[in-house]
Amino acid sequence: MRIFIIRRCLYTLLTLFAVATILFFVFRMLPGDPTAQVISPALDEAVQTRLKQAYGLDKPLAVQYAFYLKNLVTLNWGRSFTTAKPVFEMLAYRFWNTIFLMAAGLSFTLILGIGMGMIMAWRRNSSLDVGSTLAALVLQSAPPFVTGILLLMILSYRLDLFPTGGMLASGTPLESGFRLLTSGDFWHHLVLPSLTVSFYYIATPMLIMRDSMLEILGSDFIELAKAKGLSPRVVMIRHAARNALLPVLTVTSVMIGFAIGGQVIVEQVFSWPGMGQLMVQAASSQDYPVAQATFFLLAVVVILMNLLSDLSYCWLDPRIRLGARA
Amino acid sequence: MKEFLLTQLRILTRHRFGAFGGIVILLFGVIALFGPVLAPHDPWTSLTSADGRLALLRPPSLEFPLGTTSMGRDILSQMIHATRTTVIIGLSSGLISIIIGANVGLLAGYFGGRLDEVLMRFTDIIYGLPFLPFLIVLISLFGRNIWFVILAICCIVWRTSARVVRAQTLSIRQRQFILAARARGASSGRIIYRHILPNIMPLLLLYTAFNIAWSVLAEAGASFLGFSDPDNLSWGGILYNLWISGKIRVAWWWFAWPSICIILLVSALVFVSRAYEEVANPRLRQR
Repeated sequence: MRIFIIRRCLYTLLTLFAVATILFFVFRMLPGDPTAQVISPALDEAVQTRLKQAYGLDKPLAVQYAFYLKNLVTLNWGRSFTTAKPVFEMLAYRFWNTIFLMAAGLSFTLILGIGMGMIMAWRRNSSLDVGSTLAALVLQSAPPFVTGILLLMILSYRLDLFPTGGMLASGTPLESGFRLLTSGDFWHHLVLPSLTVSFYYIATPMLIMRDSMLEILGSDFIELAKAKGLSPRVVMIRHAARNALLPVLTVTSVMIGFAIGGQVIVEQVFSWPGMGQLMVQAASSQDYPVAQATFFLLAVVVILMNLLSDLSYCWLDPRIRLGARA
Repeated sequence: MKEFLLTQLRILTRHRFGAFGGIVILLFGVIALFGPVLAPHDPWTSLTSADGRLALLRPPSLEFPLGTTSMGRDILSQMIHATRTTVIIGLSSGLISIIIGANVGLLAGYFGGRLDEVLMRFTDIIYGLPFLPFLIVLISLFGRNIWFVILAICCIVWRTSARVVRAQTLSIRQRQFILAARARGASSGRIIYRHILPNIMPLLLLYTAFNIAWSVLAEAGASFLGFSDPDNLSWGGILYNLWISGKIRVAWWWFAWPSICIILLVSALVFVSRAYEEVANPRLRQR
């Protein structure tokens, strides 16, 4: 067990390192001047030379690579070409906005998905079951910009129930970090984007919950619980659902890894000031330091989530936890 | 070959959703094949309607069956061109990525040991790259060209099929007929491609459908964000044009057709893959 965890953590470090390396070479393969990714070509010639020396860009590739790794680890991520602000500061502000939206979307997904999955298994093969399966598959096929725009058209433009975008009403002072959570306005802005995220990802937990419920409902201990005369509701929730949850929880963290892509789109549709929106802006305005750092941070989230999913799987499955496999 | 096709047909028709999916995919295939011939107008010309005025933002009518854009371009023609782009991207990245994934999985699973370790660690690394951001970065760095889009998609999409194929290969490798083939002195290459490959065919078809679906969704996402080949309009690109035109509150038709087509094609692929899933995993059939 312990060896398994240590090995997983080592692999995670290796993956982080490899992703950083891939990033270094991808940005260095830029057509044209390879230094253009750190120093804006718009700057004065003399300034450019000075910056090149400061960043070590006049050195051979290997030295540059060492510089790059050192700067990455020490959070010295350079300055934005467009705003000239330090990249780290720009990202620190947006990091939590993205995490809040992800967390809200994921909670919606899990609560709705697990609840629906239970009901579907209970009323197996009813029109509700078939209809929900179909709906889940169609929602999964609808890209988040389609569901997002549709929600906007109906609930914002038509019915005027929710704001059309942003994180706080315009004119209110900018808040960040956990202070946001005390603002009702923030929660109001959060509803549509997180609904959109959860529509896109709901199929997985819902269908897995349904299948795993069905599997468990067929097992002996459920028969026993029924034979004891327990009410169907108690059997469903206390006995079946509790055991059926495990597979759902293990796929969840894998899902978070995939959810990053949907997140970028949702942030764009709802002008949510998160990392995804910044990534799109930076990539389309050729703001390389920002694009590079944002990509790296998103990759870190994905990689840590993959680690979490491996560890939770290993913790939840007693066959692994109790050391059948080192 | 005829036998093979007949089996595929039987799988699809036994499954009602699968049959529906097959028909939809075929339909899009035909539109993509004959695209430019079918389109009534040039997708980029601003059109004038019969009354002599520019046909800006016209809702669907007899003259313009799917309506026009804010620049007076015919959406039907744009949709037909976009279908071709989407099908080209989906099909080529789906096929290339399944070939990469199948080979990585087969080699890792069959040879095991050091090679397995190296290939699977590499797959883990690819799993660490967030798909859509990677696509955006690659497209913005190397140029908005349809072949780069396909290349970037392939770089990522193969990873899932590699893992699944490896797991399946591991279990098949232990079977009697593989041991028998090895005892007869068959080469590794022959065992892998003659004996193991046919056995994972249903799985490969399943994941080809998945890979195409993921590629289509990824391309739609990237082009909706504005990262696509400007010469090859795609469904996501039509939605991007709508988004930046700011006419989203008025032009429902401009939004509806590309959205419906994306959902139709992707869910058709999902339905077909569910039909195959029952073949690849017969345990499901009893449910």
